[in-house]
Amino acid sequence: MNLKLVFKVVGRILQIEAVAMLLPLAVALVYREDPVPFLWSIAIVAVAGTLLSATHSRQHFYIREGFAAVGLIWLITGLVGALPFWFSGQFASFVDCVFESCSGFTTTGASILTDIEALPKGILFWRSFTHWLGGMGVLVLATAVIPSMGIRSHYLTQAESPGPVFSKLVPKQSQSSKILYSIYCALTLAEVACLKLAGMPLYDSFIHAFGTAGTGGFSNRNPSVGAYGSFAIEMIIAVFILLFSLNFAVHFLLLTRRFKEALQSDELRFFFLVVAAATAIISINVYPAYSNLLETFRYAFFQVCSIISTTGFSTTDWSYWPNFSHAVLVLLMFCGACAGSTGGGMKCSRVLILFRSLRREVHRIIHPRSVEVIKLDGKVTDEETVRSVLIFVGCYLLIILSAALVISLDNFSFTVSFTSALTCVSNVGPGLEAVGPAGNFAAFSPLSKLVMSLCMIIGRLEIFPVLVLFSRATWRRA
Amino acid sequence: MKIVIVGSGKVGYSLAEQLVRENHDITVVDVREESLRRASDSLDIMVVRGNGVSAGVLREAGADSADLLVAATNSDEVNMVCCLTAKNLGTKYTIARIRNPEYTASLAELRRNLKIDTVINPESATAVEISRLLRFPSAANIETFCRGRVELMGFRLQEGDFLVGKPLHSLSGQIKKLSLLFCAVERGGEVIIPNGFFVPNVGDKLYLIGRPDSLDQFFRILGRYARKVKQVFLVGGGKISMYLAAILDRSGVKLKIAELDEKRCRQISERFPQAMVICGDGTDQELLESENLSSCDAFVALTDRDEDNLIISLYAMQQGIPKVITKCNRENYAGIARSVGLDSVISPKFITASHILRLVRGMQNSQGSVMNSFHRIAGGAAEAMEFTVSASTRHLGTPLRDLSLRHGVLLAVIVRDQEIIIPEGSSTLQAGDRVIIISRNSGITDLNDIYTQDKAAPNAAGGPQ
Repeated sequence: MNLKLVFKVVGRILQIEAVAMLLPLAVALVYREDPVPFLWSIAIVAVAGTLLSATHSRQHFYIREGFAAVGLIWLITGLVGALPFWFSGQFASFVDCVFESCSGFTTTGASILTDIEALPKGILFWRSFTHWLGGMGVLVLATAVIPSMGIRSHYLTQAESPGPVFSKLVPKQSQSSKILYSIYCALTLAEVACLKLAGMPLYDSFIHAFGTAGTGGFSNRNPSVGAYGSFAIEMIIAVFILLFSLNFAVHFLLLTRRFKEALQSDELRFFFLVVAAATAIISINVYPAYSNLLETFRYAFFQVCSIISTTGFSTTDWSYWPNFSHAVLVLLMFCGACAGSTGGGMKCSRVLILFRSLRREVHRIIHPRSVEVIKLDGKVTDEETVRSVLIFVGCYLLIILSAALVISLDNFSFTVSFTSALTCVSNVGPGLEAVGPAGNFAAFSPLSKLVMSLCMIIGRLEIFPVLVLFSRATWRRA
Repeated sequence: MKIVIVGSGKVGYSLAEQLVRENHDITVVDVREESLRRASDSLDIMVVRGNGVSAGVLREAGADSADLLVAATNSDEVNMVCCLTAKNLGTKYTIARIRNPEYTASLAELRRNLKIDTVINPESATAVEISRLLRFPSAANIETFCRGRVELMGFRLQEGDFLVGKPLHSLSGQIKKLSLLFCAVERGGEVIIPNGFFVPNVGDKLYLIGRPDSLDQFFRILGRYARKVKQVFLVGGGKISMYLAAILDRSGVKLKIAELDEKRCRQISERFPQAMVICGDGTDQELLESENLSSCDAFVALTDRDEDNLIISLYAMQQGIPKVITKCNRENYAGIARSVGLDSVISPKFITASHILRLVRGMQNSQGSVMNSFHRIAGGAAEAMEFTVSASTRHLGTPLRDLSLRHGVLLAVIVRDQEIIIPEGSSTLQAGDRVIIISRNSGITDLNDIYTQDKAAPNAAGGPQ
């Protein structure tokens, strides 16, 4: 384990985060708020970053260092993001700040705040801006703006990018990262413009665009998107949520006019199929409550988009929906968005591979000597990938159950313990009952909050970088 | 440049590794999942899985907008079709690796009909390289520039050589009169560009550049002049041996070829009736001795296994054969071999990759000064390049002592008309000159790259020792 090089990378990332904090500082100054929390945070982060990045190492950087660095960077980023919250004095404890910051960077959107609207605008801006940074990834950003960190940067982005297979848009990693961020920025700005046109204030437009882009879900209003009561705004957000939950490779293919390749994606079709089916099922189920077709569709569609993309915005308190709808939404939380998007969950492509290997297993029982390959997008998925997907799914469930076990120490109902663990690992935001769309996570004990924060990072990094970090073999010499 | 490499085998991988270092956009196509995984895990490249013959796969790899496609799969036929398809899709330049001698015979038609711009035959290129070494046995390796008017050769210093322990500037007038320059020194795995105060040690590998007759004379003074090779012992009767035998046969060298396979032996004997073909295990010392190995002037180990080649080469060296050449594909072995005294280690993979690299460098500066040849020396740690000076070259007519060259760059030779100039402080560059540059940092693609950005302090580089 080449710790020096890992520290160097961590230092560079801290420097980038210090620069990123200038934006909320500017917002605080514009609204004539107290800039001191940001000034302190920037000073601390910049100094730490500069000190760390001064380390020098001639050794090589391998995948092990890449994974460990990513794990470490995200843990540290969680703490760094908490600094402005802590210095603002608006939060009850540092654990709360860490929870809120982790929830931001991992684009979960779960909050411990009871009255969001009481917070200063600069702090709220930072809270949502962490969504935007964490959505596409701080390391992807780093490889885009610092073309050569003197290391094989694809190891870093590989560990941070979601999905069962890591693929690049163009041969060079730095170029690939630049394209990703350009698409990301363009889509975000487009959403800001649309929301502004639909009548949302500019500040709110940015907050909600950040929340959508990262598929995070922090709002600056207590009742979330529902506060505006505007059909247009809800539909704009829903459509952009769907755009951000697609694999960014699809956006790139569309931009380069390779429509046929873009539409060939199995995952894309599966994703839209699930959205359509879930919307239809929930609409039928909740129709008696609204007894208006348009109204029913409006709420069902928005909630389905919001949950499957793991955003977590809400337009209505769906805690009052029937149990069947809850069950459907919980399944969507497992499934999650597409690989290579900003969303969380297990990812549609993994679910597809899981289904297909399940079918193959059944076929094998019926025809024990049959040979069958698993295909995705018309191409053979190699057995290595299939195996890693199956292990991933197993691990995913194991982690949710273990987290639920710890959280149940707080003596809430099983639904609350389980869905809060699920919602954190899947980076969704709301759960059921007390942690539902109208609730929050303030009531949990500090231990539960820390466990949930860790769960969010595990979910965002798709388990393995964090496990590598906690494995003894990583730290052993030789 | 956007480059597509089809086939991620030995050559494909080492080529991709080298080209990534020079900041090109590389896409590698292969059918084998494992080799692609290895390539994409350790290099910053894109990989596409599929058969390089298919237009769909090539389009996915971006062949329609690529500047260069290198087809380096195991199969000649795949490589040919691959180049044809790519060319039709819109690739600007194609290079195919074609190794079957039957195809090489009708190369011109193949190239015209299949639209292959350059054909590379690793075995034949290796054979040419070996034959060059055999023609000049004093040197461990040798490169030529300006159609053979300038040669660059490396040799290792031994105990008792008069160069040892004295700074270069104190050499006798006899040496100073010769038209040559010490241009690089390989010491302990590192490359040094020496100046007049450099003191050579035993074990250093010195690189000399200059006129061939001056080099001849130098080796005579050094007492290292080996007589012309008249009898060569080849072990292994593969493709390289065949090409090499053809070249050596033409120049009247007597050949002994040991090969295990009897059918193969018959084929060799059919093609080279003059050669003595021995059917037997060339790695067997008894066989080598019974065939009177020690009477040969040179020994070339060309079996398929690197390990066998290294061991029998060591044995041949022990038997006092003046020139031993070893084929070894694995780069890490080459370093070990050098440390035990086997200086002439040849890697077909390395030679092929260097060839292609030279083409890529040449294509990069279509305008500006043209790169005529390019060689990697000291196991790839330094490069020797030949450029033609054009009107766009900066600092024409300025004496070298007023110029500042980049660190680790040496202006070694200027060839003006028929004259070969070893540059001094007062020498100048003129349009139409050919110059040979030695550089420790890779990435020089234009003659203007050799200057530092600000031409501040004068630099001693280029001065004679």
